[in-house]
Amino acid sequence: MLEIKCPHCGSRSQNEFSYGGDSSVKRPELGKEVPDKDWDDFIYFRNNPRGKHSELWHHVAGCRQWFKVLRDTSTHEIFKTAKLTEEL
Amino acid sequence: MTQKYRLDKEGYINRKKSISFKFNGKKYFGYEGDTLASALLANGIHLVGRSFKYHRPRGFVGSKEDEPNAKVQLYDGAKTEPNAVATEVELVEGLVAKSQNCWPSVSFDLGAINNFLSKFLPAGFYYKTFMWPKSFWYKIYEPIIRKTAGLGVAPLKPDPDRYEHKFEHCDVLVIGSGPSGLASALAAAKNGARVILAEDKSQFGGSLLTDQVTIGNKTGKEWADETIEQLKSMPNVVVKNRSQVFGYYDHNMMVMFERTKDHIESPSEYIPRQKLWYIRAKEVLVSTGSIERPLIFGNNDRPGILLASAAKEYIKKYGILIGKKPIIFTNNDSAYDTAIEFKKNGINPLVVDVRKNSESTVVKEARDLGINIKFSHAVANTKGYLRVNSATVGKLNNDRSSYENLENIPCDCICVSGNWTPTVHLSSQSGNKLKFDEIINAFIPNQSRQNETAVGSANGSFTLKKSLEDGFHKGFEISNRLTKKNIKSDTPSSNEKNYGKHENFWCMPLPKNKDYKRCVDFQNDVYVSDIELAIREGFRSIEHVKRYTTLGMATDQGKTSNLNGLQLVSNIENKIVPEVGHTTFRPPYTPVTIGTIVGREVGKHYRPTRKSPMHSWHEKNNAVFVDAGLWLRPRYYKQGNETLQQAAKREGANVRKNVGICDVTSLGKIDIKGPDSAEFLNRIYTNAWMKLPVGKARYGVMLREDGIVFDDGTTTRISENHFHMTTTTAQAVNVLAHLEYYLQVVWPELDVNVLSTTEQWAGAAVAGPKSRALLKKLFPKIDVSSEGLPFMGFKEENLFGVPARVFRISFSGELAYEINVESDHGIFMWKKIMELGKSMGIQPYGTEALSTLRIEMGHVAGSEIDGRTIPSDLSLEGMLSKKKDFIGKRSLNREAFLNPDREKIVGVIPVDKKTMIPEGSHLVKDKNAPLPNPKLGHISASCWSVEYNNPFSLAILKEGKKRIGEKLYAMSPLKNKSIEVEIVSSHYVDPKGERVRS
Amino acid sequence: MQRYSIFSLIKNAFGGHKDWEVAWKDSEPKKEYDVVIIGAGGHGLATAYYLAKEHKITNIAVLEKGWLGGGNVGRNTTILRSNYMFDPNGLFYEHGMKMWENLSQELNYNVMYSPRGIINLAHSDAQLNVFYRRGNSMRLNGIDAVMLGRDELKKMIPFADFSESARFPIFGGLMQPRGGTARHDAVAWGYARQINSMGVDIIQHCEVTGFDVQNGKIQGVQTSKGNIKTKKVGLCVAGNTSLLAEKLNMKLPIESHVLQACVSEPVKPFLDHVVTFGAGHFYCSQSDKGEMVMGGDLDGYNSYAQRGNLPTLQHVLTEGVAMFPNLSRLKILRTWGGIMDMSMDGSPIIDKTHIDGVYLNCGWCYGGFKATPVSGWTFAHTIAKDEVHELSSKYRLNRFNTGHLIDEKGLGTKTWIG
Repeated sequence: MLEIKCPHCGSRSQNEFSYGGDSSVKRPELGKEVPDKDWDDFIYFRNNPRGKHSELWHHVAGCRQWFKVLRDTSTHEIFKTAKLTEEL
Repeated sequence: MTQKYRLDKEGYINRKKSISFKFNGKKYFGYEGDTLASALLANGIHLVGRSFKYHRPRGFVGSKEDEPNAKVQLYDGAKTEPNAVATEVELVEGLVAKSQNCWPSVSFDLGAINNFLSKFLPAGFYYKTFMWPKSFWYKIYEPIIRKTAGLGVAPLKPDPDRYEHKFEHCDVLVIGSGPSGLASALAAAKNGARVILAEDKSQFGGSLLTDQVTIGNKTGKEWADETIEQLKSMPNVVVKNRSQVFGYYDHNMMVMFERTKDHIESPSEYIPRQKLWYIRAKEVLVSTGSIERPLIFGNNDRPGILLASAAKEYIKKYGILIGKKPIIFTNNDSAYDTAIEFKKNGINPLVVDVRKNSESTVVKEARDLGINIKFSHAVANTKGYLRVNSATVGKLNNDRSSYENLENIPCDCICVSGNWTPTVHLSSQSGNKLKFDEIINAFIPNQSRQNETAVGSANGSFTLKKSLEDGFHKGFEISNRLTKKNIKSDTPSSNEKNYGKHENFWCMPLPKNKDYKRCVDFQNDVYVSDIELAIREGFRSIEHVKRYTTLGMATDQGKTSNLNGLQLVSNIENKIVPEVGHTTFRPPYTPVTIGTIVGREVGKHYRPTRKSPMHSWHEKNNAVFVDAGLWLRPRYYKQGNETLQQAAKREGANVRKNVGICDVTSLGKIDIKGPDSAEFLNRIYTNAWMKLPVGKARYGVMLREDGIVFDDGTTTRISENHFHMTTTTAQAVNVLAHLEYYLQVVWPELDVNVLSTTEQWAGAAVAGPKSRALLKKLFPKIDVSSEGLPFMGFKEENLFGVPARVFRISFSGELAYEINVESDHGIFMWKKIMELGKSMGIQPYGTEALSTLRIEMGHVAGSEIDGRTIPSDLSLEGMLSKKKDFIGKRSLNREAFLNPDREKIVGVIPVDKKTMIPEGSHLVKDKNAPLPNPKLGHISASCWSVEYNNPFSLAILKEGKKRIGEKLYAMSPLKNKSIEVEIVSSHYVDPKGERVRS
Repeated sequence: MQRYSIFSLIKNAFGGHKDWEVAWKDSEPKKEYDVVIIGAGGHGLATAYYLAKEHKITNIAVLEKGWLGGGNVGRNTTILRSNYMFDPNGLFYEHGMKMWENLSQELNYNVMYSPRGIINLAHSDAQLNVFYRRGNSMRLNGIDAVMLGRDELKKMIPFADFSESARFPIFGGLMQPRGGTARHDAVAWGYARQINSMGVDIIQHCEVTGFDVQNGKIQGVQTSKGNIKTKKVGLCVAGNTSLLAEKLNMKLPIESHVLQACVSEPVKPFLDHVVTFGAGHFYCSQSDKGEMVMGGDLDGYNSYAQRGNLPTLQHVLTEGVAMFPNLSRLKILRTWGGIMDMSMDGSPIIDKTHIDGVYLNCGWCYGGFKATPVSGWTFAHTIAKDEVHELSSKYRLNRFNTGHLIDEKGLGTKTWIG
């Protein structure tokens, strides 16, 4: 079971959190023209790396804050967690 | 009450307390402190079961969790436990056990015919045959094979026992209480670390319980006892026995099960059977010891052939001689201890040693005791069907490919030792890439990937001195990383015998022209010939060998067989073992009871049950409930012998005619506050929100980014910067997470906060033409006229002293209001509404009537918002603002979404106006078309229209409204129905929506 | 190739089983092949087989970075079914079911296809209606399906929780009688043995490290055993597809997630069918050895580790005991994990790519095993003819641009919810 350090609450076990996917996926700005390809990339296409992966987690059974996690997808090692306003 | 093989000294059993038990229907006695295995051996019973495939007689091989053979069925009925390991079952009064996988009895088993056919049933034989004729596999062959499958019998009733979970944190978890475990626990504890010491056996001490050693001026056992007492007295230490750490998971999450009940004679019913411990350990010390390997020789799988260490353990721990004419067969010195123990207890063993010689002190001691040793000899074969009765022993020739002077030596047991394998399972599970140690010919832990450290013999150190040093050293070093207290404990002096080197010769040759079976995996019947065959057929990867032969896949997971199998493959392939590699060690280390993993979430507690504050009222009023996610909602209120359909019709009709009340507490409610709230809603919902006045509600639809409709509901502007959002019951949780995601991740610049208030409010929908009159009575101060409280209006007022929110919104399509009060006042509100509505004919209505009302109005719900539909599919295109962007808008211009012929919502009525169209039917043009019959759409929801008194359905149909007036067939082959239907508008009742605005 | 039968088994028994030939031989790569298939799992081996059999292309190398059949074909819960709602899936998998029915005979290897019936339990009328929609669709597509009532189910699986204390009572169940199981390893080995005899090279422990692409055309692959020239490359690497695609500058609508499965200790057979729990995500069958084979939810975060964590297993087994309370006293023997190539609509991708001669077969989520024959068959067609097969024509990559998605579950792009 992963131990995830919520940047707001501290270390907690995985079952307090829910996963939110690749945090490098950025939503195109609202109201801006977006080419089809970019839009489809945003919705469907993923880097899916083996190794370091920056991702979002949501502390649903805690402070209900979303935050960033840098985690290894092959070893599950967590290198760093950060608030959304911070750099990973 | 004779226990023929019990000594009157030795062992840690309580000879004063005799315990009776039954095995295979017969009553026996053992002592307190026995395991089922030791108690049976005390009575001279070796034959306990049959092997899986050939049903060869099987006896005990080990004395602990490595035991491959002695799997028994305990008790019967709901409490029965299949595949219990007799060496691990503690004896309790009244224990009932029987042998498995044999019929009619363990000594006469008809399944043993397979042994005679074994020539035709080599590894993987089933892949090569049973293919003709085609249907015979699953009609004839497989059913026969399944009759022979399995070991024990599963209970067919729910488990009467309870299981509990516990969560712990510690600095250092020490697994195993042998010398290195005790040493490291003590060192870490003294250095101030919070320590948990876990021992899977009932007794602490590991090898100290059986080995002739001294530590300081004490015997090993005394030192172990004292150390445990010392640890127990320390406030920073938790010491657990009967506790098996079975899984090493990510981030040092260790999982352990503790046996808390089955060993107690008359346990209180409140005691859980087992506890599961989740332990988050900052550091883990793996001191799990090592497992002895068997030797491989002809018919090495007969009852009475055991590991030498097991024989010693039965003498030292339980005071039992496993036989009176023992042969000790070894390739190393450790087995000499067993010989010496026999000798000390008046038995003359014969030692057969494959080595040319050994000069260690232990061998010398054996010699001095007059023990007969045959060096350069080997056991080539054994005899005895249900129990070994002789061994064929011969001198190995120079290249050890055959024998000289084979002779038959009578015996009643053979104690074998093929050296020791460190128990690296947990280290390996942690991600440690093991390395092969050439000296001990086994894998040991290498580079840790998590905070894991192996100590003692689990790390390949087989002497006491090294284990203690290793334990004290690592216990200190590791704890000091955490505590930094620098309190070092001295390693006590120790005394032990000196053991020489083993010889890595473990698979005996066959005598000339003999094809004796040489067993590698005792339970699964994997023999040397099977492994040879696998390799001959090209199954060369160790994983292929494992899968093809089933080596190591039995319930012991190859604890005694894997390394022998590996070495065999490396020999045949002429490779070194590390090149062959090993199969993956996976949790659990030993089998874990499913109930233990599950814990308390069983039966009604499988999931929480959410109930509205008015639940007790519903119960009293004959509500029949329906599961709506975790909520229980009244489906209908049964009157007399009514069916569901009759009740729904009555309740629905009453809404259309008079007034009804429905519990809508389960709808998701989210409070949205902050100066940017309107802007936020404007982005989340498809329609416009900026100009919604205070005191007004609006219906909104939200999409996923991919353009699919996500949820709908009404949101009300309570004040300038405060909105009250409602969601569907099903999506309440997801909508909140969705809002939080956009607020925190995507638009942090918006000053808005959201909070779930679902449980804060009790909600009642009051619907029907008489609802206004009722509202007037409930809230005399409110102007309830259409001007005073128009459709989508909102007021805050008190309901006879209770603060209430009144919304004029409608899901039923009738003139309707929704009243919310704080949850605690829900029942008051409900009763008040019922009381004041009585004269107007108010009746409660459940979800079934609610469903009827919404269907005939053409309002969409979960069966239409099914995760695949876009707004225009549901006639919601009018909800899409053209002036602003919103979540999901950009996705709506995809080719497939713009296709005008997409499946869209319509109404459907049966041509005969009588036949209900089953939900889940598909619409086709030609009911007799050949299959696959092209489907034009499906029926998403059906009801009996209370307005028109005939069936009405909603459908999602290709080309949607273009087909209005068309006749199609609704097909439900599962119900054997095809119904001619006519396509109509989905807005069947009050298409202009006049009632809600009346 | 030596033929397997009861007669050959008897004959060899008297010869001490010394004359069995290798099922497949380990080859070293040649300089050039007509087709290189990456991945000696079920789909890769099947693709090679149908290329050889249907399209007479035998100068093929199947490259495997580990050992043959070591990925998901050897890690799944062996379930076969075609109980899909949407036509592209239903018709595709149903074709696959027909192939399964003859596979043992075709491969001369007993893959133990066993139509023991797969039952999806429903726990509310609403869920039953969803199942009616799916089952009716199956029937109209010519796929077998029956709806079972609570009483019928009581007779078939009396040990399921039909008691008052069930949190989510059983209302009924949709059954596909021809659904069932097959022996997973045998499928890989059976295909391997056949293609080996047809002249295909199976090269184990050979990892593809790069591609040689010139002017938008594939020229060859770089491997740990040297460069191999070829004009056609088929990717059949399931959870590792994104990693190879990256080397081709392709981003895919795929995330890799770990799915755990487990078996109990073997017990005497009491469960004939494959049963799935509707108030959760649990499925269970009993193998011919007697082990209860169980699985359920994904671990829920991107992962390339072939192992999972206990909370997911606990969650899954909790659902198991809710469905079959008698499982509680059985013991878990083995747990393991596999890497699932979760596509964004839950349906697979079989297609050509923007590079001439590179073909894609991925996105099987956790349903790849049952597709093995039909996936190989349609993919072989795609590679041989350089055109998509009619049967897999809805599985094209561009559906993520056009919106013609096939979302059986309606869950959208949050693949980890699965």
